[in-house]
Amino acid sequence: MRITTRALVAAAIAGSFAVLAAGCGGGGAGSNGGGPIDQVITINWGTEPPSLDPGLATDTTSADVLLNIMDPLVKLGDDLEPVPNLAKSWDISQDGKTVTFHLRDDGRWTNGDPVTAHDFEWSWKRTISPDLAADYAYQFFGIVGASEYNSCESGCAAMRDKVGIKALDDTTLRVELTSPQPWFVQQVAHTSFLAVNRATVEKYGNKWTEAGNIVTDGPFRLARWDHNSRLDLAKWNDWRNADTVKLKRINGRMISEGTTAVQAYEAGEIDMTAGLPPEELPRLKDTDAYSQYPGLGTYYYGLNVKTIPDVNQRRAMAMAIDRRTIIDNIAQADQLPATGFTPQGMPGFDEINPDSQWLPAAGDIDQAKELMSKVANPNKNISLLINDSPGHREIAVAVQAMWKELGLNVTIRQQEWAQFLEFLGPPPDASVDAYRLGWIGDYVDAMNFLELWTCKSGNNNSNYCDPSYDALVAKARQTEDNTERYKIYAQLEDKLYGENGAVPIVPIYWYTYVQLERPTIKDSLNVNLLSQTDYSKVEEVEPS
Amino acid sequence: MTRLIIRRVLWTVPVILLVILMTFLLMRQIEGNPFRHSERAIPESIQRNLEAKYGLDDPWYVQYVRYVRDVATFDLGPSLVLRNRDVNDIVREHFPPSLELGALAMLFALVFGIPLGLLAALRANKWPDYSAMVVANVGFAVPSFLVATLLIYFFAVRWGDIFDVPTSGWDTWQSKILPTIALGLGPMAYFARLTRGSVLETLQQDYIRTARAKGLRRRRVVVVHTLRNSLIPVVTAAGPILGFLITGSFVIEQIFAIPGIGRYYVTAVTARDYSVVMGLTVLLAMIVIIANMVVDILYGILDPRTREAR
Amino acid sequence: MSSTPQEHGVGLAPLRQRKERRYPTPPDGVQTDAGAPIRASSLWRDAWYRYIRNRAAVIAGVAFLVLVAYCLIWPIVSPYDPYAVDFSQASDGPSLAHPFGTDQFGRDLFTRTALGGRVSIGIGFAATFVILTIGVTYGAIAGFLGGFVDNGLMRVLDALYGLPYLPFAIIVLAIFGGGNFWTMVVALSIASWFTTARIVRGQIITLKENDYVRAAHAVGARWLRVLGRHLLPNTLGVLVIAVFLELPGVILGEAFLSFIGLGISPPDASWGSMAQDGYRAYRTAPHIIIVPSVAIAYLILCANFIADGLRDALDPRTRET
Repeated sequence: MRITTRALVAAAIAGSFAVLAAGCGGGGAGSNGGGPIDQVITINWGTEPPSLDPGLATDTTSADVLLNIMDPLVKLGDDLEPVPNLAKSWDISQDGKTVTFHLRDDGRWTNGDPVTAHDFEWSWKRTISPDLAADYAYQFFGIVGASEYNSCESGCAAMRDKVGIKALDDTTLRVELTSPQPWFVQQVAHTSFLAVNRATVEKYGNKWTEAGNIVTDGPFRLARWDHNSRLDLAKWNDWRNADTVKLKRINGRMISEGTTAVQAYEAGEIDMTAGLPPEELPRLKDTDAYSQYPGLGTYYYGLNVKTIPDVNQRRAMAMAIDRRTIIDNIAQADQLPATGFTPQGMPGFDEINPDSQWLPAAGDIDQAKELMSKVANPNKNISLLINDSPGHREIAVAVQAMWKELGLNVTIRQQEWAQFLEFLGPPPDASVDAYRLGWIGDYVDAMNFLELWTCKSGNNNSNYCDPSYDALVAKARQTEDNTERYKIYAQLEDKLYGENGAVPIVPIYWYTYVQLERPTIKDSLNVNLLSQTDYSKVEEVEPS
Repeated sequence: MTRLIIRRVLWTVPVILLVILMTFLLMRQIEGNPFRHSERAIPESIQRNLEAKYGLDDPWYVQYVRYVRDVATFDLGPSLVLRNRDVNDIVREHFPPSLELGALAMLFALVFGIPLGLLAALRANKWPDYSAMVVANVGFAVPSFLVATLLIYFFAVRWGDIFDVPTSGWDTWQSKILPTIALGLGPMAYFARLTRGSVLETLQQDYIRTARAKGLRRRRVVVVHTLRNSLIPVVTAAGPILGFLITGSFVIEQIFAIPGIGRYYVTAVTARDYSVVMGLTVLLAMIVIIANMVVDILYGILDPRTREAR
Repeated sequence: MSSTPQEHGVGLAPLRQRKERRYPTPPDGVQTDAGAPIRASSLWRDAWYRYIRNRAAVIAGVAFLVLVAYCLIWPIVSPYDPYAVDFSQASDGPSLAHPFGTDQFGRDLFTRTALGGRVSIGIGFAATFVILTIGVTYGAIAGFLGGFVDNGLMRVLDALYGLPYLPFAIIVLAIFGGGNFWTMVVALSIASWFTTARIVRGQIITLKENDYVRAAHAVGARWLRVLGRHLLPNTLGVLVIAVFLELPGVILGEAFLSFIGLGISPPDASWGSMAQDGYRAYRTAPHIIIVPSVAIAYLILCANFIADGLRDALDPRTRET
């Protein structure tokens, strides 16, 4: 009896150890982890891509996958200028309103069909169509007839034909714009402008993006997609440029928790994390695997111009923030303290950036207090709205302490994302005095950043409205010459942060992207300013 | 007996309807736009298109009736956020890992918890009892996210060379070990305490004394008489434990990157994906209801005393 | 998750029988004649003496009071400002100056744990109180009135049983927009009172059928008197135990919700939100997650032992072998 029970327990313990021991040496989920150089890598996508339909994809993870399995007309070079890809060249008419793309003739779909201009016409019109209800349909609104077609309620077929996208033949695509848009060709590098295979979409309907159904035309094909678990890409040997592609296979995990991802990297299960939690940065910064890339984005605190009407208070609040401390102690990824709104790395940055006196890198609390004293009726109770992702809370707490020195009583209200967005509107809820937000570039022109602050902008959550600002933006849209346009951008930044700047929002830093990468792929892996990686250019080499 | 079962089964229908109604109304109370995920605002025309596409521009009672009808035909609708997937697909792909995790954790809890409690009861107030109860109490009290963190830290970081145990994912059987322990430790402790108390109480019953007085061997006494009767409260507790497993899995799935329902649920509520939230809540509710029903029936079978009392 | 009084057998022995059963040892050593009753003793005094004799329960009780005192008093006397940000001291491990170390902002964890304790324990008790109030009311009405009303209420309860607790807590929190003290209380209690209602109803029904109640009726006592003198005092014991049984579940629930990120807004903290902050730093500064987790475990252990002690004290049929 005694023996039986104890034996039972002992057997159980022994059994479990045996089981564990049998487990060792079993190996991880098929990754390199410091193994042989076999051109197979395991990466971390971070999250499940909500959709691999170019017409419906709106987030960076989907974009990351799409840009490697599809063949865009143009790609962005190192300096973010458009380079020919599937389109071997393009012409822009005299008045700047007509762009004609000339496609290569060796583009192919994985089902054997050739890629033609008709594919692009059909795909773009599909994205604009009201039936697809695409979020990013607005990207096409610069094209003649697009916004009318998108909001049509009847007679849509006729509207569709009026849209200014026409395939003149198999290799020529003509686009008519509503106004000259010098950045249009760069915009075409975005995933919304990818083509889809008409036959596949019509055959499988909503499910055409599943691994078994999808038809693509890029350097990699979708080998396997276990939702929320893994997404693997395999080299497509029939791609037109297949001999330049070195990687044979990219296995992708979906680990959203940063700490878990670091853990997986260190255990050899993945070769690349996607981002890093700030807490781990001090420990990982000096390791071989640490990599940092500049990003095209601004992290800022917006102010409600209606509840903080005195510009001196806004300027004081901007000056009180010690950006260096936030970057060194909280964000910890060597971000750049923001001295204007448009981030560094944007073409024309040197001409545009105001190097504002209201945005000192280390903060200037004395000046700020002085400014504060000039305020007749200061708003002392500040309600700061943030969303609940990690990292924002820490920065909010730090800023709260900094604004406290100005005599401001800051309440931090944390909300989860969807509700947070509701409160931001626009227009922002009356209870919001300050809020946290970030803006990442969609395309590579400062217009993308500066047009946010026009009166009617759907992303202006600050109640800031200056008709002269709007007028300048309109003028910039019409200005084709880059140098001239950058001058206008400089004027816009000046309106926000110059000597008489309104300071409706307080930029804090410009983004960087950090991650861990295996030394074997470290040098060939390049994350561009929009946080995209072109895997057709990556290869594994012996670490030097 | 059969009447009881039939009646219980029939009662699940209005229950499910009530669950759907409550979830439906509650979800509609939350502010938030299911179509806006980034800072970029959605132009009016596109918002209208989306609402028309998903039938969100109908009055709420129309939507409710339509939804109930769909549920009756097992069509849980499309996801509002994951545009190429239906809720049925999501359930089909992500429910099995959660179910497996829950089942493994329950198995772990029973296999280690019951013998532990039994041992403690048989050696009451001596060292095996004390140590077993310390283990049980600590296992019950420590929150599972700490257990998970410690497990990861020790087995993957510190002793990573001895044990090759992955700390994320759910593909190989090794990857299932740590999450199972992390989730199952609490219930195991609970079962241990429960078994101990129940066995102790049963041992005092007169019929045990009778059995011993008759000269039956201890082993037979323990197994045949004591254990079987002591397990009744354990069976009763299995229902709430199941609920615990479901809720505990949310955190465990997040920490170990397991592609289960729990993880999806939190993200769906956050993203205001109405159809996913409704579908998953209905599903979870059905599981809990069925589990409770099974437990009730089992209880009725196992404990003849309750049959007349009910 | 809470265990039910069914663990040790159903309900309590009625008052009158108890008096004839056994007697506590009088503390002042009064001599008695053999066979004569020592003194008229009440249920509560009996229970108290039995409780005192249970060593574990006493230790747990004292530990619990120490914890509550620490949470209430320490933040008032502490030399550290729990909201002050000082990066030069960030993420330091435990030391003499900071017994629990500091967090990522350089705030003293010993003080913050006390503050967090106020919130966590506060939410715990508040939610438990709400659960009991709703549960008792519902169960009492059902058990007392019986018949058709009872049947109907129980069927509705069965329906409500199907509501999974955490998903609804999440939805409720989303409705109210993130955590503050009272929304957490509502979220945690909204789907947790069903078991209590069932138990109370069962208790009332059992007690109603009891002989002594019938006897009281036969003697002519009115229902109110029966309720006041007999039913409620017995049920009270069960309720006191129930408080300490529900408490761990609620505390864990709050910790889970905070860990997922739906908890208390900064710079206030609960133990759960502190654990969430600490999780991301567990490789470099493990103490930040360990401290609040241990605090949670400490509280749960105390509550468990107190509940066990109370149960043994109030139910004389449980004896140790």
